[in-house]
Amino acid sequence: MMLKRQSRLNLTGAFYLIGGLFFAYLFFGFMLAPCFNTLTSIFSAKNAAGEPDPFAVLRFFLAGNMWKYVWNSLKLAVCLVITVNIVGVSIVLLTEYFDIRFSGILRLGYMTTLIYSGVALVTGYMFLYAGDGILTAFTRNIFPDFRANWFTGFNAVLFTMTFACTSNHALFLRNAIRGIDYNIIEAARNMGASPLRVLFQVVFPTLLPTLFSLTVMTFVTGLCAMSAPTLLGYDSINPEIVRLAGSSAADESFPQARAALLSIILACFTIILLTILSFYERKGHYLSVSKTKARLRKQKITNPIANVLIHLYAYVLFIIYITPVIMIILFSFQTYNAVRMRRLDLKNWTLINFFGQEDYAYLTSRGTYKIREGSVSGVFSNQATLNGIHTSFILSVIAAASACVIVVIACEYIFKHKKSGVILEYALLFPWLLPTILICYSYRVFFNRSDVWYVFNQNLYYADRVRILIIIAYIITKLPFSLRMIRASFYMIGEEMEEAARNMGAGPVYTFLRVKLPVILPSVLAVFALNFNALFTEYDMSAAFSSAYGTTYAMVIQSMSREEGLYGYNINASGRRCASTVFIMILSGIILYLVYGVGSRDLSEKLAIRERRRKRLERLKKIFSKS
Amino acid sequence: MIRLQNIAVKFGEFTALDNINIHVKESEFFTFLGPSGCGKTTTLRTIAGFVQPDRGKIIVRGQDITDTPIERRNIGIVFQNYALFPTMSVYDNIAFGLKVKKLSKSEIDRKVRVIAEKVDLTDNQLKQAVSMLSGGQQQRVAIARALVTEPAIICLDEPLSNLDAKLRVQLRQELKKTQQDFGITSIYITHDQEEALTLSDRIAVFNRGVVEQIGAPNEIYNHPATEFVCNFIGDINRVSDALVRVLADGGAEIDPDGRHYIRLERLHVNEPVGGNVLGIQGTVESMEYYGLYIKYYIYVGSQILKVVEKNDGVRIYTPGEQVTVNLNPADLMSYPTPSDNAENNNNNNAMRKEADFRADIPGVSSGMGGVMV
Repeated sequence: MMLKRQSRLNLTGAFYLIGGLFFAYLFFGFMLAPCFNTLTSIFSAKNAAGEPDPFAVLRFFLAGNMWKYVWNSLKLAVCLVITVNIVGVSIVLLTEYFDIRFSGILRLGYMTTLIYSGVALVTGYMFLYAGDGILTAFTRNIFPDFRANWFTGFNAVLFTMTFACTSNHALFLRNAIRGIDYNIIEAARNMGASPLRVLFQVVFPTLLPTLFSLTVMTFVTGLCAMSAPTLLGYDSINPEIVRLAGSSAADESFPQARAALLSIILACFTIILLTILSFYERKGHYLSVSKTKARLRKQKITNPIANVLIHLYAYVLFIIYITPVIMIILFSFQTYNAVRMRRLDLKNWTLINFFGQEDYAYLTSRGTYKIREGSVSGVFSNQATLNGIHTSFILSVIAAASACVIVVIACEYIFKHKKSGVILEYALLFPWLLPTILICYSYRVFFNRSDVWYVFNQNLYYADRVRILIIIAYIITKLPFSLRMIRASFYMIGEEMEEAARNMGAGPVYTFLRVKLPVILPSVLAVFALNFNALFTEYDMSAAFSSAYGTTYAMVIQSMSREEGLYGYNINASGRRCASTVFIMILSGIILYLVYGVGSRDLSEKLAIRERRRKRLERLKKIFSKS
Repeated sequence: MIRLQNIAVKFGEFTALDNINIHVKESEFFTFLGPSGCGKTTTLRTIAGFVQPDRGKIIVRGQDITDTPIERRNIGIVFQNYALFPTMSVYDNIAFGLKVKKLSKSEIDRKVRVIAEKVDLTDNQLKQAVSMLSGGQQQRVAIARALVTEPAIICLDEPLSNLDAKLRVQLRQELKKTQQDFGITSIYITHDQEEALTLSDRIAVFNRGVVEQIGAPNEIYNHPATEFVCNFIGDINRVSDALVRVLADGGAEIDPDGRHYIRLERLHVNEPVGGNVLGIQGTVESMEYYGLYIKYYIYVGSQILKVVEKNDGVRIYTPGEQVTVNLNPADLMSYPTPSDNAENNNNNNAMRKEADFRADIPGVSSGMGGVMV
């Protein structure tokens, strides 16, 4: 018996050793070493004489208007904080606090950014507002002097990102406002406070901690913006890093060192902001001391003029949110002619943008017609798009699943070993401090050589190995989010539940598989789904790697209409782009429904649904047997 | 049946259990009673195998199980929060241990249904999720789950502590009945003395990692071996040193240097004095009406004495009334004063305070005037 016990201890020890080595490999090999290499590359630069140059960093910064990119990013971040908070707070108050007519429909409209974001959203906005966009064309028909390319640069990025970045408000601020005890509002009113005073002195202070967190998150998002500045033409840090990373010393001075320096600057800003956020979060949130919390009741706006104005504001916001979505959906079923002319043809609807192929006959300069085979093709029949979907699907599934598995194993250790577990926890949260662009740029440089021993001296940036690099980058960047979410679910497993299983004779593996895993599985699947959702349409990282072997779906969407119609190629590229966005919306919608709808049901709800289904089936059987 | 021999458990520098020796007999309902942090749960966890003792042996039916893995000890546990698996139905919760033992499906089904019937769980409830059951039903599932594998012993770790007062009393009776029906050796953990006294065949009172006393409820209540047990079990009056002197002056054979206690029900208000019964004059400070009995707080000069009178038609005294509190010195429970310095210092301070009070005691300032013998 003692021998068996000894062998079990040895097995556990070996398991911990392998686990420890794996996490050390992950942390030092793929978090610390590449980023440290980027950091040292700019501080260990040498001058032309081969001597260490202490002023190299300064020279890098002064070369090529570097300050402009930093300033532009900061300007965008600061402006975004203001606009996103105004719109974000508005949409939450309009749907949750004030009694606004049709608030249910308004809420649906405001939450559309949850099902499409990033490149899909930016291209959607471009479809409306760009030089050849529907609304711009419509406006120019009425006002011919209206500037066609008004939707570019800072204003366009700010406008797009303002509405794109309210998703967090729609989720977190909504929860915070719904958590307010209505009794405190009634108490304030009872003491003579006006509705406005209640809003500003009672309601807002309880929302401040959430608003602060959202502000920091918005600031970081603005600072690290990638797809909107790239597509709408705004010189901010991230697109510049990608551009410099692909440039060579023959074209401009110190492109790599400048890219590294920009990454480090971005990392410094992120670290400072997240440290402030973390410090503020540790101070704690306001908790309701009420034992019998009353549900928030919507406030009627008693002033008729204010009521009309606020209703108008709500509907204008709704139109801004919903118009791109409706237009994209409608035009995804339109023929290429209608899409090209940006005019809805209500008589002709088609599925060609989704499925099937058509040949296209075009008039050459010699006056003859030429046939371009398969030039009109749908999302699921266009080879380039299919390749993008295929690549994104594979990379996202592998990365999302790996992140979940790694975090589940880590959590199992963290919860069993409170002291040493903290080290592992911080190691996995480390990538949260690093901007994704720094990680990707560092990988691109560090693994673009054949002497990194711990990856078996393979150049991971070479040919199709870049996919491994993308998967690792995906996993590393998803670890902090996965850890925060899955760790929370581990709290649901009481120590006693595990002990009960062990007491009934179950071994550690059986206990984990039969008792613990079913408890955490809904959360793990939710994290997997959310990770997959984010990675499937991810643009920033794959664009940073910019490799032909790692062309993801978002990159395909971004480049889809680049050569639309030229020499008879890609005739329905815009329509296909609309269809792609619709496909993303459906996919995200299904995932969110599975995560927050089906996934949040507990066993009793599942059993009740099963019972209802059984009864329904029995009723149907009876009907059929009678007939 | 189960014998704990010289068990010692240390967590770092902290001694959780020190030289525990307990013998639980076959089919006995044995309770570990004590305040929070006294070591009762650690003892249970040591028996179950979750804690490895630093010293000592655990012997079950003559077999040393000290090093036996948890899953092979054949000890059932009902946890404080029941630890039911939320992702499984009631049926699957009960069947869990049988599945681990790899019994056939038909055998599992038979055993689950037999045990479910014994603990009054219906077929319909077996299909339900555990979250749909009431607290009492959940407890029954936890007991069924612990019993279905036919363990040698069942350990119940404060299974009633999460329930409301009424349900607690109801389930206490059910628990006792179930134990008697199954005739299984049970180790019950509680900090609730009422629970311990009503349920147990024998009780072990724990304090700071040691067992202070083992005995039947009556023995523990009426003859507490230590001052801690005396204080911990039931409501009690500590007789002040000043009052002790008064009683000694009144002829009671009592050690004036010891510490003396008396149960509330051993004191009576305005009852005829006779034999060895002494009377102390006092004033009713306040009273609490419980229906079944009445509790008086009577100021007797140096202290307030709590007295419980059965509500069987006796006169009810109101605050401010002058009464006589009768006591038999034989009912006093006496313990030597602890000898360590800290205790002495505390006592000296207390003595000084009480000496100051002595001037206020009616019977002292005027000789024996306050005491009737």
